[in-house]
Amino acid sequence: MVIKVENLTKRYGDLIALDNFNLEVNHGEIFGLLGPNGSGKTTAINCILSLLKYDKGTVKIYNKPMAPDAYDIKEKIGLVMQNVAVFEELTVYENVDYFCGLYIKNKKLRLKLVEEAIDFVGISYYKDFYPKMLSGGLLRRLNIACGIAHQPKLIIFDEPTVAVDPQSRINILEGIQKLNKAGATIIYTSHYMEEVEQICTRIGIMDKGRIIAIGTKEELKDMISSGEKITVELFSMDNKILEDIKGLPHIVSAEYRDNSLIVRSSKGKNNLVSVLDYLKSNDIDFGRIYSEPPTLNDVFLEITGKELRD
Amino acid sequence: MFLHNYIYRLKCIIRDKEFLFWTLLFPIILATLFNFAFSNITEAEKFTRLNIAVVDNEEFRQNTALQRAIKAAANSSGDKDQEGLFNIRYTSKEEGDKLLEDREIEGYIYLDNGIKLVVKESGLSQSIIKGFMDHFMQLSSTLETIIRKDPQSMERGILDKAEAAINYLKEVAPSKSSPDIVVNYFYNLIAMACMYGGFWGLKEVTVIQANLSSQGARINIAPIHKFKIFIVCVLAAVTVQLFEILLLLAYLALVLKISFGNQIGYIIFTCIVGTITGVTFGAFVASVVKKGEGVKIGILIGSSMTMSFLAGMMYDKMKYIISTKVPVIGYLNPANLITDCFYSLYYYGINTRFFINIGVLCVFIVFFSLCTYLILRRQKYASL
Repeated sequence: MVIKVENLTKRYGDLIALDNFNLEVNHGEIFGLLGPNGSGKTTAINCILSLLKYDKGTVKIYNKPMAPDAYDIKEKIGLVMQNVAVFEELTVYENVDYFCGLYIKNKKLRLKLVEEAIDFVGISYYKDFYPKMLSGGLLRRLNIACGIAHQPKLIIFDEPTVAVDPQSRINILEGIQKLNKAGATIIYTSHYMEEVEQICTRIGIMDKGRIIAIGTKEELKDMISSGEKITVELFSMDNKILEDIKGLPHIVSAEYRDNSLIVRSSKGKNNLVSVLDYLKSNDIDFGRIYSEPPTLNDVFLEITGKELRD
Repeated sequence: MFLHNYIYRLKCIIRDKEFLFWTLLFPIILATLFNFAFSNITEAEKFTRLNIAVVDNEEFRQNTALQRAIKAAANSSGDKDQEGLFNIRYTSKEEGDKLLEDREIEGYIYLDNGIKLVVKESGLSQSIIKGFMDHFMQLSSTLETIIRKDPQSMERGILDKAEAAINYLKEVAPSKSSPDIVVNYFYNLIAMACMYGGFWGLKEVTVIQANLSSQGARINIAPIHKFKIFIVCVLAAVTVQLFEILLLLAYLALVLKISFGNQIGYIIFTCIVGTITGVTFGAFVASVVKKGEGVKIGILIGSSMTMSFLAGMMYDKMKYIISTKVPVIGYLNPANLITDCFYSLYYYGINTRFFINIGVLCVFIVFFSLCTYLILRRQKYASL
């Protein structure tokens, strides 16, 4: 086991930021910590890394208690923070070299690792640029290079794609998967469920300082009663039709807005077929049809009663 | 590891243009302005000969003693640094009145049943002329009395001896350097520049504190001891600041021609101690004040300027007032201690006063460093 956290509790006065937080991360995983802003993801990471004091609980990394002076553990960890943590006065190359130098004493090895990290995030062309000359996306990539240059075994990405353009986002997500394939265990925190679904092998959903659900994305979706979401383009609608559809088997809700009939079903087969059969049999003309499986947002919605982005 | 960190901290410091302005350019600009402002101060204190007139009438021509005295006062005494008192014109009374009316002379001496001084107004110049006249009349009266009682004294040359006016007191300067109030302003300026080293101390503590900067958070999760990184950062800050202070010193000495006496080794030693005091003071402020960077910089500038003010940078009498009324403040003010080191070196050379100042500065360095480290070594933060 790479990380084992038990009953971690962190209070800021009356506010409980982490409430008996438990977590286990296994070797070789990309573990996603998904939750809305303020759910406690970054606080959990800072406590795990012994940056923040906590009131209660234990943190073990590689089966050893984590502490500020646990240098043997620290040298195996890389952190890519939410804020870009680089020096404005140093160039791209110098920044990566400086932070890599805090871990790697051998100069020859360090120079090789720095070059590799810069190549890996795709900013070789900008090596001699100062951070203020870089776009937001390139800055994020530099931030990643600084966190991974020493080739850590455990890499923690804390919301690395906030305010990043789509191209850089794809680049970052692909990079994380490559690092994982190369042997690194990853913890990835985000409030973007699509990203977490895309790259994480296991996901913990956080709310109000606790993990409220944990598992693979399929396991999480199986936990809830919601099934597919069916959207049918309709140009007219009356209340009788809406009520009839709501009465069909396994249909949880139906609503009509923006020329679309939106139907949510519970788990079960042939829900789409039964809706279409009803429309055909009543000679109702319809346009395009979409069927979407439940998302992690549906999981969060069902467990907490609110949207993930609320 | 040490060299790696040290070199990169040096790079970060010397590329920080804002702080470079405050620590290097600002003192140089201020020194240049001081130089302009003070260049005429000593000129104003120089004595200029007074223009007077003597009414050349029959009574004056008969008074050979006064003629000799005026002639002696008009001429240099032979000492290169000591010029005569008066530029003298010999005129008629009417001409003397006109010259006085036209303000071409400060007054005129007129003999009419005794010596009279005619002036248009009262002031320093007129007081000097009157002083001369009083001195002459007092001396004349004394000599008259002596000669009346002892006519033989004339033969023994009493008149020549009286004119010789031997001064039995000799002025001896405590140091080889000549007194100059202007140098104190520049010593204060160096002290202020040393205290501005606090900018670098503040910067360095900020970058290694996880609760003050995101770079600090990254450094805190690295496998490196906090004390080691603190020492490296302070050393880098001291290196840059010392270089800047030596540049300022060179500018003052070589360009502005400010005298620092001849104790160059001890002057550089004072700069080193002053620089370390400034840098550790900034580190102390950064670690103790729990506010944003802007507030910390404000406190640093405010406290440095207050220290400099109390050391006499804006008002030259302040140093004297503090040292006589509340001397303890003088010892609690690092800027004053640095200024006083230069001051005592310039006027008195190496002495106890210099070493006491250095000793108190060293106590400050230990205090600031210890407090900073005790706060920094707290390895976990309550909030980030």
